[in-house]
Amino acid sequence: MSSQASTARQGSDSLASRHSFLLRGLLLIIVVGVVMSLGNVNIGAIGQGLGYALAGVCVFITYRILGFVDLTVDGAFPIGGAVCAILIVNGASPEVALLVAFVFGALTGLATALVDILFKIEGLLASIIVITGAYTVTLRIMAGRSNIPLLGQETLISRHSRPFRAWLVEQFGDGLKRQSTNLLEIILFGGVVIVVLAILYWFMRSEFGLAVRATGKNPQMVRATGINHYVMIALGLMVANGLAGLSGSLVVQQFGFADVSLGFGLIVRGLAAVIIGEVLLRPKSTGQLLIAAVAGMLVFDISRAWIFSALDLPTTDIQLVSALVVLAALGTPRLYERYKAYRQRFANTR
Amino acid sequence: MLELDNVSVTFNAGTSNEVRALKEVSLSVEEGDFVTVIGSNGAGKSTLFGVIAGAATADSGQIHLGGHNITHWPEYKRSQVIGRVFQDPRLGTCPGLTIRENLSLAAIHGRRLGLRRDVKKDQEQWFRDELERQQLGLEERLDTDVALLSGGQRQSITLIMATLVKPRLLLLDEHTAALDPRAAEQIITLTRDLADRHEMSTVMITHSMQQACDLGSRVIMMHQGEIVFDISGKERYQLTPADLIDRFHSLEDAELSDAQILGQTGSFSQKDLTALARRSSRNR
Repeated sequence: MSSQASTARQGSDSLASRHSFLLRGLLLIIVVGVVMSLGNVNIGAIGQGLGYALAGVCVFITYRILGFVDLTVDGAFPIGGAVCAILIVNGASPEVALLVAFVFGALTGLATALVDILFKIEGLLASIIVITGAYTVTLRIMAGRSNIPLLGQETLISRHSRPFRAWLVEQFGDGLKRQSTNLLEIILFGGVVIVVLAILYWFMRSEFGLAVRATGKNPQMVRATGINHYVMIALGLMVANGLAGLSGSLVVQQFGFADVSLGFGLIVRGLAAVIIGEVLLRPKSTGQLLIAAVAGMLVFDISRAWIFSALDLPTTDIQLVSALVVLAALGTPRLYERYKAYRQRFANTR
Repeated sequence: MLELDNVSVTFNAGTSNEVRALKEVSLSVEEGDFVTVIGSNGAGKSTLFGVIAGAATADSGQIHLGGHNITHWPEYKRSQVIGRVFQDPRLGTCPGLTIRENLSLAAIHGRRLGLRRDVKKDQEQWFRDELERQQLGLEERLDTDVALLSGGQRQSITLIMATLVKPRLLLLDEHTAALDPRAAEQIITLTRDLADRHEMSTVMITHSMQQACDLGSRVIMMHQGEIVFDISGKERYQLTPADLIDRFHSLEDAELSDAQILGQTGSFSQKDLTALARRSSRNR
């Protein structure tokens, strides 16, 4: 009897939560839209958010699925960017550059996994060792230069920018001409992010994905099921950091240059994206969690751009503003919890 | 089927904390045997399981299972033929995943992982049938996160997961100790049902003398890293919990008289005294 009742309750819960994710998403889009138009935020922030979105997904996989803070993203991202820049300068197509960047990012993840597994050094420390070494690897890939410009080279953006602008002017007149590069970035990167999310979603719901998800929650049980959980940790880290490399390659093509310090502070940004996405959208299923990480990165970039335009700050202040946005994202839920506990205590004493 | 040949395990070897957890233990379990293992804390029961399942490594001796020498197999590889249920209900299932996902993972048991869909439609009826046998109503809650279930419910799912793909050997490590009496009773019923139905070799550690006498066809008592009694056949069927408790006490008395003899002859060092004190406090 009671089990039947609870089943019914659970049924309606899951139905409501499925809608609540959608409703929250719509509400978020409206709020962000209003803030952007009132705050006069350039839509370039969306394109930038999409470029970094897959690095956010990387942090989501390591932090939420594998269950530890993996800093490798700080190393995999510039390595992906460097590989991409070198390939493009040497005449490779941008698509090939994306794929090779993924592979190099994945190898960085594998390095962390091997340090963790072979030497039994815990994940956080292992990733610090790897990113320290990765700095040199990045410089080596860039042939000793700390910066490689892609001026005049064919990138995903530059290849389509001229025909796209012509098409835009033809369709909508001169009004949107100034935004043509930003719009193109949103469309192209949006497409890449959607395709990658779809593949990742399929992977996460395969047998491998199930084993990776279980490994983060209960490695003992995964071992008891006859699965080598070390392989699953390595696989998870490789997929995650492959995405970071891919993201680095997108950002390099967007900025038009590769730089050795491109990954600086990326882990914080990724954590912020994951937390913001979870707080705002309350995702439940694997698919919703992936979407939330991307949405979190977009909200992060847009709110940062809004702060810049509202306070009229110089661009050199970017790291402090980033840190404050992250602090707000991480701190607000905790402050709210404390406030609730405080109110509870107050109510009890009365 | 399962053969342990003079297996020893020492923890912290070469230090002052050296513990000889297993002392040249030999044990043979036949196909379809249900063995219960009893013994005081520190007797080496869990180490025995650890060395069979691969969580602990043997310093010496050989372990054979189903014709394979598994002495040097890693834990995950042994798990492909050994099903395990732990004392802590949280260890056997994966929180954050649904009942269906947990069972799906268990259904992969011993096969290679692939890129097929994790949750398969044609397995649903199989899962439902297994869950229905327990009469806990869980077959209607396949998409519930296992983190929301009680300890007893999680433990019964662990039991199903451990036996979903029939293992060569099932190891149950005090799997009812952390449950309330009613849930423990249900788990014992389920254990008996599964062991009978699959006719698989089972070894169960228990603290309950009642369980040791009710379940299985053979009782092993361990003490200080050794098997001190191994009762099977006709003698086993006449065994009562009271007999077992008597045997327990006789062990402790023997230990006490050893101490007295040593004390009389005066060859008692401070180290011996503390070791004895520690040992007897463990036994209580």
